[in-house]
Amino acid sequence: MNRPALLHAALALALLAAQPARAQGPDGKTLFAKNCAACHQANGRGIPGAFPALAGSQVALGEPAQAATVLLKGRGGMPAFSGSLDDAEIAGVLSYVRASWGNSAAGVSGAEVEALRTALQVPPPSRGRFGNKN
Amino acid sequence: MNGRNPSLTRREFLYRAAAVGGSSLLLNTMNAWGMGIASRVTAPPQLSGSGKGKKVVILGAGLAGLTAAYELGKLGYSVQVLEARAFAGGRCQTARKGFSLEELGGETQHCNFDEGHYINHGPWRIPLDHQSTLYYTRLFDVPLEVMVNDNDHAFVYLEDAGPLSKQRLRGAQIKADMRGHVAELLAKTVQDHQLDARLGSDDQALLLDYLVNEGALGKRDLSYKGRNGRGFAVNPGAGLAPGPGKPSDPLAFSDLLAAKVGKVYSAVQEFPMHATMFQPVGGMDQIPRAFVRRVGKTIRYNAVVERIRQAPDGVTIGYRDGASNKLATVRADYCLCTVPLSVLRMVDTDFSERFKAAVQAVPYAPVGKIGLQMRRRFWEEDEQIYGGHVLTDIKGINTISLPSGGWQQRKGVVLGYYNYSLDAIEVSALTPAERTEFALGAGEKIFPGYRDAFEHSFSVAWHRVRHSLGGWGDWSDETRRSAYPVLLEGEGRVLLAGEHLSYLTGWQAGAIESAWQQIERLHRRASA
Repeated sequence: MNRPALLHAALALALLAAQPARAQGPDGKTLFAKNCAACHQANGRGIPGAFPALAGSQVALGEPAQAATVLLKGRGGMPAFSGSLDDAEIAGVLSYVRASWGNSAAGVSGAEVEALRTALQVPPPSRGRFGNKN
Repeated sequence: MNGRNPSLTRREFLYRAAAVGGSSLLLNTMNAWGMGIASRVTAPPQLSGSGKGKKVVILGAGLAGLTAAYELGKLGYSVQVLEARAFAGGRCQTARKGFSLEELGGETQHCNFDEGHYINHGPWRIPLDHQSTLYYTRLFDVPLEVMVNDNDHAFVYLEDAGPLSKQRLRGAQIKADMRGHVAELLAKTVQDHQLDARLGSDDQALLLDYLVNEGALGKRDLSYKGRNGRGFAVNPGAGLAPGPGKPSDPLAFSDLLAAKVGKVYSAVQEFPMHATMFQPVGGMDQIPRAFVRRVGKTIRYNAVVERIRQAPDGVTIGYRDGASNKLATVRADYCLCTVPLSVLRMVDTDFSERFKAAVQAVPYAPVGKIGLQMRRRFWEEDEQIYGGHVLTDIKGINTISLPSGGWQQRKGVVLGYYNYSLDAIEVSALTPAERTEFALGAGEKIFPGYRDAFEHSFSVAWHRVRHSLGGWGDWSDETRRSAYPVLLEGEGRVLLAGEHLSYLTGWQAGAIESAWQQIERLHRRASA
């Protein structure tokens, strides 16, 4: 949609509610439920013919940089999450995916995502969205 | 102005028109100035010859498919439309009593609105700029009513607006005060001779005249002290009380600047948000229904396309019949595929790798809406807001829009949120009941009677709707350069059409004008 963010919106109430957990790092499961489960489903199995499964996914379980790039830049029908999730959150949700539903790949650190964001020249999260289209 | 002319030249205007609207808008603009180029976007292409003896299979009975079926049928082509759903219209849908919608991975919602109430959960407005959509509503006698798209009396409610946070401001207050304060500042700058280097004395006098009028400034002191257009503290009326009423005080310039509310408004509406905006009386699906009355016999419903194969002499489409679950095929000389790219990418085709890559390159916009039936029109009765949008930065809401019809009736359906992108994804993870709670929780911050008046809800998350998988094609500059030309060209005997092959993405006009363009291409190939 490429609209300029006109106003910085307040943080999501849900995000504020999740803040106590932020002290030990973002809660990957909560982030997954909010940002990913609508399409990939809470059980990580996706919907055949529409949304790919993350359980056993070669993309999700492959090189951390490759998996993190999908979240930073989007892939196919999936939008980029770089505007709404910060590096620690992307690392948290990705680590959750890589360790759930029988998946067992190493976690990803916020520093790795931060380095990747810089390398890919992806701007920092803006979070605010406001507009009137279609 | 001092020998220079900083205003838009006609050439610049044409250039800008082309930049925002593409070359078809350029043609249209030139035509409007009597430059003698017939507009191609206000009517279907005038095609000569005949399609007799040739068969075209059209995939999808949305507005692009319906337009093509109607126009190709007139040319004599034998037309067969395959539609995955049990009804025509594609994303052009209206939820009213009896309508149901299942989201992938979610529960089926049944619309329980009272008789006569509805929500257009897909396209909901027809701009005056979209003469193609208006061509068919006129041709097919689809009654229209004004859709109130611009209402300065509606609230602006911002949570992150510094000193003006969490206040119910009226759009008119913000506009009047921002423009008044800016006009005062500029006028006083002129008066202090700070613009002498830029502006001759004649132009300075003319500018001051303009600013006094534009900003409602005092003629002598060039000060802005409010204007009646921003509203009264006590409205004028009869007798001595209220008599002349009591003027209201303007918002402070520094508060307005700190709140950044100026960014909410532009003095000139974006194309295509101009007034007048329309909607069909009784729901947007009146448009596909009007098409179906004319081309309905050519549509096979519940036909889900699974396979596209081409041969030198024709196209074979494999589809699954939703009722019997049996596979069947249709053969045709040509195929016009209006299936969204988000769905086409999953169809088994023999397209070249280059074409497949182009189909897969385009993401689709996550989009969500919710309709809330209210038992009382508190926005009209308590706040004197008749239609229009309440603009807010409450996360995930974006706008609360009031119905543009049924004025002063008892009940009405409010659009409780219209979110895009990642906001739409977050809200779509909620169950229908949780979405309703989310919408009510936001709305009651702005309208005290919101929760109490609520009766029924109906929500959609378009990225989770089968056969659509998104609101509209979400192009980037990069994909416009790489994938767009490939897709426009089609491949062999298959051509694509739809809003995704236009610069009017997400608009019905994009679907219609794309169909017009592609049937001309198809006819040319078929006539060669």
